[in-house]
Amino acid sequence: MFKGTSASAGIGIGKAVIVEETELKIKKDTITDVDAEKARFQRAVNQAMEETDALANDLATRVGEKEAEILKGHLLLLSDPMLVGEIENSISSEMVNGEFAIETVCNMYADMFTSMGDELMQQRATDMRDIKTRMQKILLGVSSVDIGALPAGSIIVARDLTPSMTAGINPLNVTGIVTELGGKTSHSAILARALEIPAVVAVDGFMSQITDGTELILDGSEGVIFANPDQSAREEYTAKREVFLKEKKELEQYIGKPTVTKDGVTIELVANIGKPEDVEKVLQYDGEGVGLFRTEFLFMDRTSMPTEEEQFEAYRKVASAMNGKPVIIRTLDIGGDKEIPYMGLEKDENPFLGYRAIRFCLDRKDDVYRPQLRALLRASAFGNIRIMVPMVTCLEEYREAKALVEETKKELDEKSMAYKKDIQVGIMVETAAASLMADVFAKEVDFFSIGTNDLTQYTMSVDRGNDKVSYLYSPLNPAVLRSIRHVIECGRKEGIMVGMCGEAASDPMLIPLLLAFGLNEFSMSASAILNARKLITGYSTQELKEVAEQAMSFVTVKEVEDYMKDFISRS
Amino acid sequence: MVSAKVVIKNPTGLHLRPAGILCREAMNFNSVVSFRFKNTTANAKSVLSVLGACVKSGDEITFVCEGADEEEALATMIKAVEGGLGE
Repeated sequence: MFKGTSASAGIGIGKAVIVEETELKIKKDTITDVDAEKARFQRAVNQAMEETDALANDLATRVGEKEAEILKGHLLLLSDPMLVGEIENSISSEMVNGEFAIETVCNMYADMFTSMGDELMQQRATDMRDIKTRMQKILLGVSSVDIGALPAGSIIVARDLTPSMTAGINPLNVTGIVTELGGKTSHSAILARALEIPAVVAVDGFMSQITDGTELILDGSEGVIFANPDQSAREEYTAKREVFLKEKKELEQYIGKPTVTKDGVTIELVANIGKPEDVEKVLQYDGEGVGLFRTEFLFMDRTSMPTEEEQFEAYRKVASAMNGKPVIIRTLDIGGDKEIPYMGLEKDENPFLGYRAIRFCLDRKDDVYRPQLRALLRASAFGNIRIMVPMVTCLEEYREAKALVEETKKELDEKSMAYKKDIQVGIMVETAAASLMADVFAKEVDFFSIGTNDLTQYTMSVDRGNDKVSYLYSPLNPAVLRSIRHVIECGRKEGIMVGMCGEAASDPMLIPLLLAFGLNEFSMSASAILNARKLITGYSTQELKEVAEQAMSFVTVKEVEDYMKDFISRS
Repeated sequence: MVSAKVVIKNPTGLHLRPAGILCREAMNFNSVVSFRFKNTTANAKSVLSVLGACVKSGDEITFVCEGADEEEALATMIKAVEGGLGE
């Protein structure tokens, strides 16, 4: 068994087709006829542009405009007068062949982009190398592997796939993709998901372990591959494949459907994300927005604080990808439980009751909070961003955060920089204090989002990571349910949106109760969205009112659970 | 030769797509169209040159145009940048 990174879900069963780019040997030749060599080079540029244009158009119609964007960018680079001019210069001044001139000039630009360091520039370096190879292949008369013409049941095995290679992939004959390099967000992974081809990437040394034609089973959901499987494995995975496809099909019926209950109540069904790349999954599962974007990831696994610019890029990406749909971004929620050495956080005796989240941010306004708010506001010019303040316990905290937002707006006004003028600022309701004061908060904040994981933990005074006490951790506990109902009622009374972004929002036992209480927005991991839509559209909030009343009359968690289990099995 | 300063307003700065739009505008003129930023001078008709200048949102650049249609070129470039370069 080989392990890699799961890049696109599903099971692929078929024969390996090893796709290897022949290494181009670029020789330095001395030429005599400069004009002829220039003309030869110009023909190669024209042909490369024609090929790229055709690939881009094909990809745009077959997969989508977004996927074709990289190739359209290649066209811009191929037609660049400076690039073409410098290559021509190199041909005439150094009397070298076109292949060699292309090699030197393109590598120089690729290195320049690499040295600039930011992520977008890395992509430009990859682009430079891709167009370099394309032009050189034309000059050398080397044909590319024709991925479009593979036999049905092929599993592509490659070191990595370049945009020009992936453009030819057709799900009718390619049942799986394995690459030795790449990650969840590499171009091949994104395309595999868009085309719904199971894929496993970053399988180190895989190509030396198999040959062309080796029978493979690939589980893209688990990120594993089996070579030469026996009969029983084959049967097991064929069955798994059928179940996967059947479930997928059943839930796919809910893609594009509105989330409306039987009695006509429209619910906002949105997703929790942790990284900008997760947006792709949100779109895939038809999320109606982002209900929680945790910004911690931007600050973790690194040695210095992300700059305002880096943060801005991350927020902008999400906002533009969601194209006007709401995107709730939670400001930094860290404390002594997370190891971020450069933040200078000391180990807290009681990290969940200590110096964390908004408490920490308001203490570190200049180096932490202001840059984050500036990045958020700037990014709000690109979409419907809403700012959410975490772990609020008292009104002063919200007011101080809100005042900072207003100050930052003024700063941007002075520089005439764009942002969303009427940006909403809300709070995460996850402490007992915020819940008890919900009626007061509801008069000042723009929205509530109930964080059930922490609300349960703080209400029940239980560490769910501790096995000895974790039995106390259940959002179905009457105390937690009362708290949730109270928050929803207070929010509704003031006419603000009340959402939920904890795991409870996708829990089939809680969904009926939340609907009855009047929750407006449910936020969950993207893969849970379609199932939640299926459940929500099957209920009538009016009918659920009775169920909720009954459930709320119980005094122990066991009674509530038994009642809800029974209700679900009957409905 | 004419020149004028302008602040980049579009939020991503001069990345590939905005740079492409900037170049297309510049190509419409016979004049040499360039801009100065920090210590570098970039050819506004080349995407690569523009990208290489690494200009971010909020940065101020100085356009320099030289040629028969320099006045018109300068006015057009300033307008394009102020219009947000398609973003």
